[in-house]
Amino acid sequence: MIEFYRVSKEYHGRRVLKNLSFKVAQGEFVFLTGPSGAGKTTVLKLLYRAEGPGEGQILVNGRNVGAMTPGRVPELRRTMGIVFQDYKLLPSRTVFENVSFVLKFLGVPLAERRRRAYQVLRLVELHHRVNALPEELSGGEQQRVALARALVNEPELLVADEPTGNLDHRLAQEVMRLFSQINVRGTTVLVATHDVNLIRETGRRCLTLDRGGVLEGLVEAALPPQAAWRRDGGVRLPPREGEEH
Amino acid sequence: MRRGAAFASLLDEAFSGLWRARRVTVVSILQISFSLFLVGLFLLAAENLGGVVDTLREETAVTLFLRSGADEASKATVERTALESKLVAAVRRVSAEEARGRFARSFGSLTGAAGTLSGNPFPASIELDLLPGAISSAALRPFLANLAASPAVEEVQFDVDWIRRLRGVVRLVAAAGLATGVFLALGAAFTIANVVRLTILLHRDEIDILRLVGAPEVLIRGPFLLGGVLQGLFGGIVALGLLALAFRGLLFFVSSTENVLLGVFVVRFLSPAICGVLVLGGVLAGLLGGTVASRRGHV
Ligand SMILES: Nc1ncnc2c1ncn2[C@@H]1O[C@H](COP(=O)(O)OP(=O)(O)OP(=O)(O)O)[C@@H](O)[C@H]1O
Ligand SMILES: [Mg+2]
Repeated sequence: MIEFYRVSKEYHGRRVLKNLSFKVAQGEFVFLTGPSGAGKTTVLKLLYRAEGPGEGQILVNGRNVGAMTPGRVPELRRTMGIVFQDYKLLPSRTVFENVSFVLKFLGVPLAERRRRAYQVLRLVELHHRVNALPEELSGGEQQRVALARALVNEPELLVADEPTGNLDHRLAQEVMRLFSQINVRGTTVLVATHDVNLIRETGRRCLTLDRGGVLEGLVEAALPPQAAWRRDGGVRLPPREGEEH
Repeated sequence: MRRGAAFASLLDEAFSGLWRARRVTVVSILQISFSLFLVGLFLLAAENLGGVVDTLREETAVTLFLRSGADEASKATVERTALESKLVAAVRRVSAEEARGRFARSFGSLTGAAGTLSGNPFPASIELDLLPGAISSAALRPFLANLAASPAVEEVQFDVDWIRRLRGVVRLVAAAGLATGVFLALGAAFTIANVVRLTILLHRDEIDILRLVGAPEVLIRGPFLLGGVLQGLFGGIVALGLLALAFRGLLFFVSSTENVLLGVFVVRFLSPAICGVLVLGGVLAGLLGGTVASRRGHV
């Protein structure tokens, strides 16, 4: 589903990612972690082509994202659900409109848009605030609107950047349960977070970007062998700096 | 059906965009309507002057005033020459009596004065109706000179130079109108481009978000382009309204003034086709401005 092959990225000559390679298989649920500034958001931006890779290849569902012409990018993004770290809600639109407008691009008729938007807003427990504007919502509520918008088009790939950053623990767990449900239905999920507890509790594979600003490859190598993963919701700590597996 | 709904939503977005920047929108609509109004005035003037020229041309006749003592044979020669020239449609003999009668009919109040003159002051004449195309024919001048040389002819009266000059003026007015129009329309397009750019700036964040969630380009740029077109359309309609008002005002002025001659010059409003062209000009200016402002890389 996702393949990074020796990807490097620099901003104004400052190297953020260096020779990064990893794979996420179709139907997987994977965490991406690492300290602040490690490049988690950058990895996600490369995925939905908000940034172009400096070097290397990025494949998303067989599409060569790095070589994609600008005209193809909207199509790519429409197959994805993206939760942005800063939500990116339309300030002048209601909660309901914020969630339903992405369905417009897919040509979904109005009645169906209504139904589906209401459904996902129920999932994130915001169905009672459908007519509120984003500015009338708390940070956590806004985050849940962003979540609902990412889920409403039943994406092939869900990419979430700190989707629980503003949620209390119960809601964060709730969101992870939601992601698991969506994942069971076939959506590949990639979640960037530095909430180690959450990763631990959810018990999924975890990719770690190195500390120190400049990424030294990943991390795949630093992961325990596949057999050691516990799929029963048990605990697995992300590898720490200098930790041997 | 879906296409219609999609267009309706584009239109909706376009209107709300204009509404949010309503002050500048009004300014740009006024500017474009002012430009088109000026163009319209030129065209109106050209249309009416052209009308005058046409009227004159219909009445274009050559009058050959006859010498009072001319004999019948030479008058007949003149008529034959005229008919054989391939420039003349009809020949009419007007006697001195008829000439006096015509004068009396046209200028009743002056008849008394003419009556006091001893004898008949009006000369007999031969009137020639020219064939269409004769005016621009190179053979006309030698033909008239030939007639003037006849012993029966006292004077040849023909105002072709004057008509030609008038037609030149009409053409000039129309051309000046068009040139001014293109110039002003470009200026209006520039204003519209700025308004569209401003609405784009106002929506900058929204546009970025729309892009990030994969909105198609038509949905992102369409409303802005359409906003420009709408401004041009409204500008054109307002201009037409102003022109119609100005025309009515002129008509009113002309009908209340004593000056009968003015009435000849203000008679026709612009033809529907020209009205359409004016509005279309506005739409094109809007399309140009909208396209320039919303082209890829600027939104
Ligand atoms: N547009 C940009 N221009 C310049 N530098 C950037 C840009 N975006 C990110 N960076 C830099 O790249 C590095 C990685 O940023 P990134 O946002 O990917 O980190 P992150 O892992 O998501 O951090 P956080 O956990 O705080 O969200 C940071 O040092 C950041 O300053
Ligand atoms: Mg980040």
